[in-house]
This record gives sequence, C-alpha cells and structure tokens, in this order.
Amino acid sequence: MSIILEQLLNGLTIGSFYALIALGYSMVYGVMKLINFAHGDLFALGSYLGYTLLVWSAGAVSQRFGLWGGMAAALLFAFFAVGCVGVLMERVAYRPVQKSGRLPLVVSALGVSIFLENLIMAVWGPRYQAYPASVVPTYTISLGWFHITSMQLFILILSFVLMLILYYVVQKTTFGAAIRATALDKEMATMLGIDVGKITLFIFFLGPALGGMAGVMNGMYYRQISFVMGWNYGLKAFTATILGGIGNIPAAMLGGLLLGLVEMFGAAYISSAWKDVFTFLILILILIFRPTGLIGEKVAEKV
Amino acid sequence: MNKRHKRSQLILGMVIALFLAFPFFSNFYWIDVAFFFGVYALLGLSLNIVLGETGLFDLGHAAFYAIGAYITAILNTLYGIPIVWLIPLSALCAGIFAYIVTSPIIHLRGDYLCIVTIGIGEIVRLALINNPFGLTGGPNGITGIGRPSFGLFAIDTSIRFYFYVWIILAIVILGLVRLQRSRIGRAWNYLREDEIAAEMSGIDVRHFKLLSFVLGAALAGVAGNIYASKLMIVSPDTFTFMESSMLFCIVMLGGLGSIPGSILGAGIITVFPEIFRVVANYRMLFFGGALVLAMIFRPGGLWPRKREIAIPNVRSAEEAEEMIRPVAVDQTRTTAKQSLNGETSSFEKHILVTDKLTMKFGGLVAVKDLDLVVGHGKITSIIGPNGAGKTTVFNVVTGIYKPVSGKVYFEGKDITGFKPHKVASLGIARTFQNIRLFPGLTCVENIMAGLHHRMSSYVFSSIMRTESQILEEKWAIETAMYWLDKTGLAGLSDELAKNLPYGKQKLLELARALSSSPKLLILDEPSSGLNDKETEDLMIFLENLLDEMDLSILLIEHDMNLVMGISHWVVAMDMGIKIAEGRPQDIYNNSRVIEAYLGREE
Amino acid sequence: MSELLVLKDVVVSYGAVTALKGVSIKLNEGQIIAVLGANGAGKSTMLKSISKIVPLKEGKIFYKGKEMASLSAHDLAFQGISHVPEGRRVFPTLTVEENLNLGSYGARKRLLDEEVEETKKWIFELFPVLAERKNQLAGTLSGGEQQMLAIGRGLIAKPTLLLLDEPSLGLAPILVKEIFNAIRKIHEESGTSILLVEQNAKKALAESDYAYILETGKISIEGPASELAGDERVKAAYLGGSAVTKKE
Repeated sequence: MSIILEQLLNGLTIGSFYALIALGYSMVYGVMKLINFAHGDLFALGSYLGYTLLVWSAGAVSQRFGLWGGMAAALLFAFFAVGCVGVLMERVAYRPVQKSGRLPLVVSALGVSIFLENLIMAVWGPRYQAYPASVVPTYTISLGWFHITSMQLFILILSFVLMLILYYVVQKTTFGAAIRATALDKEMATMLGIDVGKITLFIFFLGPALGGMAGVMNGMYYRQISFVMGWNYGLKAFTATILGGIGNIPAAMLGGLLLGLVEMFGAAYISSAWKDVFTFLILILILIFRPTGLIGEKVAEKV
Repeated sequence: MNKRHKRSQLILGMVIALFLAFPFFSNFYWIDVAFFFGVYALLGLSLNIVLGETGLFDLGHAAFYAIGAYITAILNTLYGIPIVWLIPLSALCAGIFAYIVTSPIIHLRGDYLCIVTIGIGEIVRLALINNPFGLTGGPNGITGIGRPSFGLFAIDTSIRFYFYVWIILAIVILGLVRLQRSRIGRAWNYLREDEIAAEMSGIDVRHFKLLSFVLGAALAGVAGNIYASKLMIVSPDTFTFMESSMLFCIVMLGGLGSIPGSILGAGIITVFPEIFRVVANYRMLFFGGALVLAMIFRPGGLWPRKREIAIPNVRSAEEAEEMIRPVAVDQTRTTAKQSLNGETSSFEKHILVTDKLTMKFGGLVAVKDLDLVVGHGKITSIIGPNGAGKTTVFNVVTGIYKPVSGKVYFEGKDITGFKPHKVASLGIARTFQNIRLFPGLTCVENIMAGLHHRMSSYVFSSIMRTESQILEEKWAIETAMYWLDKTGLAGLSDELAKNLPYGKQKLLELARALSSSPKLLILDEPSSGLNDKETEDLMIFLENLLDEMDLSILLIEHDMNLVMGISHWVVAMDMGIKIAEGRPQDIYNNSRVIEAYLGREE
Repeated sequence: MSELLVLKDVVVSYGAVTALKGVSIKLNEGQIIAVLGANGAGKSTMLKSISKIVPLKEGKIFYKGKEMASLSAHDLAFQGISHVPEGRRVFPTLTVEENLNLGSYGARKRLLDEEVEETKKWIFELFPVLAERKNQLAGTLSGGEQQMLAIGRGLIAKPTLLLLDEPSLGLAPILVKEIFNAIRKIHEESGTSILLVEQNAKKALAESDYAYILETGKISIEGPASELAGDERVKAAYLGGSAVTKKE
C-alpha cells in the first residue's frame, strides 16, 4: 500500500512538471498553431537561471530570508526572466516567419531550440550542474507509514496552486474566454474587439514563464541539471499535451499528470527500460484512435 | 540546345571536376568532412522525397537511417555478409519497416503526422538502447563492422570512401531527378499541393504517400549502410531526435522538393560547424541563429526548385487531338436504373442516378432522400439557395463523403462509398466551388494530374526512362497542351497556377477535369467570379464540348442565365430536399422554387 | 438625420480577384439598409472592409463623419460597430454565456457592468432560448440558435451600427421569420442602425428603409426598399445575372 502511494506521489510530482511545461506547448499551439520545439529549452533555461540565483547571489537571499525565501526568489526570477525570453523569441524568431507558413515556422523553432541549448552550454558549461544541498530544504514529513519530502509537498502544492489559478483565469474570466476565442477564430476575435497581438504576447510570456518555473522546481527536486535536459522533458511534456488534447488548457494539465503516473507505474510494474517506449506508443495510439486527445472536439475539414 | 542549357552543362562539368580534384589538394580532415557531406546529402535527399516532394512532415527520419545502419552492422558482424551486398538489403529492410510503421498513420495530416514520426524515431532509438534479443549491443552499440570491398579492391581509406559515397550519390541523384520528372514525382507534388484535389483527379493518395515513405526510408537505409561501414561502429546516440531535426533543416534550408537544394543544405549543415570550429563552443549557437535568420529571409529555401517541363519539340494540336479522341460511345452500356420519377423517363440513358441519398453531419441533415438523375449526353443543373446541400451532393457522388444511406449509380454500377480516386478513374471529373488547383505547379503539370490514372509508368520505368515511359510522358504533355490550347490558355504552359488571374484559374481547373476524358463532368458554380462575357464564353464552350465528346454534365449554378440557357434538366433543392425538377422554363416559373429563393409568403 | 457610415468608391481585391470594384453606399443614423445580391457578388467583402478585416485597395470609409484609416480592426468594437459575420462563427467550445460576454469585450471600457447585464437581459428576452441554454456549449446549438447567439453577441456591446451578414443563411423558413422579427424588434427597441446583407430579398426589403443591389462587385440598383420590392429587375437580378433582365 505505501509503495503504491509513494509511486503515486512520485508520479504526480513528475507529472506536475510535465503539466506545467505542457501548458506552454498547448497555449502556444492554440494561438499560433506551432509546436514550439524551443519550449523544452526554455524549461532548461529556467532551471539554470534559478540555479545561478541560488548559488551566486542567493547565498545572500537565503541567509536573509531563509531557505524558502531563497527558493521563492529563484522561482520568481526564473518565471519573469524566462517569460521575457519567450516574448523576445516570439518577436524575433516567430512573428517575422509566421506569414511564410508553417514549415518555416517549425524550422525557426528548431533553430531557437538549438540556439538556446547551446547558449546554456556556452554560459554554464557542458557538464552537469548540481543545486547545492544547502539551498533546498531536505526534511521528510512522516505520518505513520506515509512519508513525503518537504520538496515534494512544496512542488505539488505550488504546481497545484499555479494550475488552479491558470484554470480559473482561462476558464472563468472574460480575459480567459478571450484567449480561448483567439485560439478558435482569430478573425472573429478581432471583430469582437480582442487585440490578438496582445493575447499572443501574453501567451508567449506566460507559457515560457511557467516552464521556467517548472525548471527551477525540477532542479530543486532532482538537484542535478544539464543543458540537454530540455529535449527530454520537452518531448515528454509534448506527449502529455497530445495525450490531453492540444490547444486545450485543462487537457494539458490532465495529460501531464496522467503521463507522470503512467511513467511511474509503468517503470515500477512493467519495465523501467521500456517505459519511454510505452509512453511513445501511447502517443501514437492516441493519435491514431483519438487524434483530438482525451478531451477535445473534432473539427471537420471543409471541402 | 540553347545557351542556358550549355552554360548549366559547363557549370555541372566544372563542379564534377572540382569534386574529382578535391581530395588531391586537401587533407584527410577535410576529405572526411566531404565524406560526411555526401552521407548527409543522401539523407537530405531521402527526406526530401517525403517532406519536400510529398509534403509529409517527417521528424523521425533518423529511424530509417538507424534501421539501415543496424541491419548492416548486425548482419555483417554476426554472419559476415559483405557490406556491399548489404546495401540493397539495408534499403529493403528500411523500406519494409517504413511500410509497416507508416501504414496505420499515413492518413494523419500535418502536425499530427509530425508528432507520430517523432514518436517512431524515439521508439526506435530507445529500442536500440534496450538491446532487444541482444542484437543491438545496447547503449554502446555494435563495433567491428567490416569495410566495403569490390573483389580485392577494398574501400578502406578516406579518399576511397570519399569517392565511394559521391559515386553512389551521383547515381542516386540521377535516379531522383528522373523520378522527380515523372508520373511518380508529379503525383507526390500534387498531393503536397492539395490532397483533396489530387485524390479527386484520380491519384491514389494513400498509395503514393506510402510509396514516398518507403522510397525515402530505403534511401536513408543506404546512407545508414555507408555510415556504418565508414565508422565501423554504430550506436544509438547517432540516431536522435536532433539528427532528425537536422535532416529536416537540410531540406528546408535547401528548398522543399529541390534536389540541388537538399545537397546544398547538407553542405551547409556539415561544413558550417567545421568552419566555425575555432569558436568550438559557440558554433552550434551560431547555427541555431542562422536557421532562424534563414527562415526569416529565405523561407522558401536557398535553392528552391524552378519548375519547368521539358516540352517535346514536335507538338501539333491536331496530332494530340488524334491521340485523345474520346472512346466511341459504348452502345452496350448498361442502362441505368430507371428513376422513380416518371418525368425523367424521357431520357434514354442515365449516366448517374442517386437513390434516396442521405447525408448527415452530426445531427444536421444536409441531404435527405435525394433521387437525382443525370441524363446521358445532357446538361443537368442543380439550383437552390446557399446551404441547400448542393455541394454536399457533389461530395457524396465523388466519394469525398460516404453517404449515411442511399446509393449512387454511375453507368448502372453501384459506386456508393468508392474512394474519390476510384470514382475519378471510372470517369467522373469535377471542379470545386473554391478553385482547388495545385498552386505551386505549372499549368501543364496541373492538367497532367487528370491524366495520371490513364498512365501506367512506375518507379522502375521512370528511373530507367524506358521507351514506353518516354512515349507515355510525351503523350501526357501533348494531351495537356491540347487542353491548354482548347481552354484558351495557350502560351501559359510554364506559368505557375497561383500566378494566373482568377478567371484563368477556373479555366485551368476545367482543363484538368476535362483532360481525364471524363464521361461525367461535375462543375460546382463554374461561373462564380466570372463576368457576363466570360460566362457566355463558358456556356458556348460547354455546349460545344457536349457535341464533341461523349460527355454528360452536372452542375451547380447560381447564375440563372447560365442555368436556363444551357441546361436540359434542372433540379431545385432547398434544405437538403429536392423541391422540384423539370425543364428550365418550367422550373423558372415554378412557385416553389421562387418561394425558396425569395422567401415564403405569409 | 446625420450620416453614420459612408463608403466612397471602395475597391477591395484578394490577390488576382477584385471583389469590390468601387462601391459607394450611405447609411444614416437609425436606418436599416439592405444590401442584396447573389453569391460571390462581394457582399461579405463589403462588410469585412468596413470592419477592417480586409484592407481597402482604393476608396474611403467614413464613420460618424471621420475616416477610419488610423484605427485597427480590434478598435471598431469600442467605436460602436458590431459585426455579425456570415456563418455565425460562434466559438463552439465556449458556453453560450461566454460567447455573449465576449461580445462586450471590445466595448468594456465604454460600458458599465450594469449596462452589459441589462443588455444581456434584453437579449434573453429577444431570444429566450439563449437564456435556457446559457451554460451549454455553443457548438451544441442548432443553426438557428447559433444565429441568435451570434446576433446577441453583436448586440451586447450596445453598438451604434450593427453589421448583419446573411442572418437567414441556411435556416428553415420558420426560423428565418423569427430572425427577421428579431431584427425588427432590435431596431425598434434599441434604435441601432443596421446594415443588413442578405440573399433573401423579399424579407430583407420588408425590414429595411433603403436598399442596394450588389452585382459582381458593383452596385447595380439602389432605391427605397418599398420601391425595390415591387421592381421586376430586382427579382431577376436577385435570381441571377443581369442577362435574365435582358431577356425580358
């Protein structure tokens, strides 16, 4: 029983990373119909930015405001910095290419991805970096046979809160409705007075920002980060997006959490070596049998 | 030949001379770079078939490359099969693998296909790491692969490998150029430009998509073989998603569907990082930035394909006409099922009959219990307000939609549920309400789409340029030119369809439909967007066609002048139901029809 | 009566196709103007040029006496122009109420929340079925209901000028009647000026003050609606090209 519960916790933790990254994929796909291949690298960038803040300056922040203060600073810093990088990316690499069609846009995204990955390597070096143990709390909370690390609890609560806020904003507010409307029909949204350019900007800030924050959480959780981690997490989160249904925000959250669970239980009960193969098999099967994902509407092509 | 041709031959000669001389003026380091240039050129060309020619988003192409490399490695190290024999075997295995894995996903479009291919690429890589049956050697891969040799002549030095790969490449390029300018290459381009129009012109879209994947994979398999024998080791980390994206970039950098472009792209990808080796850590950084810049300033690629059709020297319209003279009317043709409607029995033959045809979308009934009869050799028009279900009828008849219930008979044969390309090959051709041409192809190529199903050359005959293939191509071009002249588009043969003004685009679409010598021509609002003069010309043209060919016409039209002027029979629809049918004058004065147009009186 | 909207020699082209070839129309405040014409005559393009979805190649558009050149498409809702496009274009995965609320998005800075709520109540009175289904996804509505929603979405911004593009398209006669009754009511109760583009000539003429007939990008006939309703040419032109007119 306790093992299952532990797997569940591990699955949810990694699932919440996937979910936070998947949100960015999904939102960007919604407004631009682009699979933003650079998104995974933004996650990695967030991880490194948080690391730098914690290690270089945060000695100071952590000393003054405690461990949790230092973490909060790192998270917020990554959130805003990566968000700004996202906006810059849209302005420089996507907006000028958008009119040329979707294939050039895909290549541009691959270019940004290669650029970011190598930027990280150039700045922080090709070797693994470790979040020092001194900057993250490491105690474990135990309730009888039930154990949870403080980090796990923190990650779960924070991502849950973030998703809840996002869910509320997107599903319950008029601004959120404007975002969804823009994703569905840009021209109609414009006719209703929605500034599509502003919405796009917002999406390209928020998506990367959430990814960057997930990067910091991931670094704190596993403590080890590398410049190539973007590809792997990106690909997984992207699978999660499809699993839920691309372009649909609650679906991305669901897909992320579900994928985390599938992976954990798959690794535990089937085979850890083949778990990623199962992940991609699921992806392919979903696309064959339910291309709109678990939640999603089918749109017929007009002839 | 002309001057330009001479000049390009001269340049080609110089390039070949440069390649021959290169190794003798260079060092081993750069000769190896040139070798990898060759391997990536092969890979780029292999993906170009899939992504460039056919427009299928394949971001997992490294999987096929891996299959070729591992087949070579396993069979060579385990059974000692010579590397050279393994070239065709690697191609075959990669091709079969591609057939198996892409068959279930080939119907997916755009991004979805892209995602699935990423998945396939990753599954293959992960499987290689996991060392199934102890065959792949796990993360470390397989070592000790042999070298290719021809008898006693072994390919074992850098210079020999250099010539080995570039000679293979030269042969491949020759084959691909021929393939590109054949029925196969055109079919790929058609479905890249507009899948539905391609299918409706008689091209088996599924078949040609699969063919494209299989050939692309086979060629990547060959590249895998060469790579494995040069390095003498294969390991899973060569065949990553990054590798697939690089191949994707090669094709896009060069220009979609451009053979020289793909080679240039491969050159950039392999040579660029070497030139920037001085700034070791930053070279990929520059490369990423350069990709973005290339897409901003040259989204169509650095060396896009220029579309030209080699027009045979002898070309006379009469000669062509002779060749395409329609088959004599088959008098024994089965008489179509008699309609339930007594009024239409005056037609001796019905080319098309629908029996209680019903089509629904979700809960919406678009067409309900429609009995439609199209007389042989006659013009039948369907009229009705927007949303009456007219175009849906066309889409059901031509196989784009499968009806919920009811039957479609063509020449007495039940064709309900046939795929559009099958319907087209039986002799039904159509035009679309919003013109569906192949915008990036020339006018001649557009028209030749209609001839596709009447031609038979395939991969082998196209690459070998067999006599029958050459004859067939000539026939196709001449026939296409005939229809170009006939529809008043003479002189525009090499113009891209997208550059034509609207009216001419409509004519081109009509020419494409007619080139297939259809028995039934279906026109969806042929006059929309034409002015009065053009509409009148169109009427005369259609009426003349009826005299010249064994043709029946079914059309949807809003222009009452056209409908009343040329139709033999008019069917009025509203809300998916036939509300009246009869001779044009009767319909024009029919109260129910006027009502449907002008709104009901209270 | 002051001039609310004036189109002067408007030319619009999509690449090779010229959709509008110098169209001039005028709409006074409080009027309902109908623009009739067959498919492809350029009616929708005309409305899209007014709401700046398609750019003008030549000509000018004046709204409340001022040229709109400096405005963006998304500013027009704030200026009081609501466009109910052809084919309804409701957001299928949003609820009916969300769709309605979005209608006031562009106008949120000129309207008080209470005004929006009041207008919403009025819209629910006009189309009670929308009130019943306000929590349903718009994609699950029938064609007629979607049309009502699209009109409601246009009205909630309390527009000065309502652009209606083929509101009767593809609807059963009984629903067509209902929609036209609603249009009349909207005009009577709110005084909104309406530019109505229609295929259904008889109905449209019955509701409007003045009408234009658009044929292949040009205005061919214009006049007070009551006069045009009796005009033989309208029936002919309406049914198709001008050639039928020649016949008679």
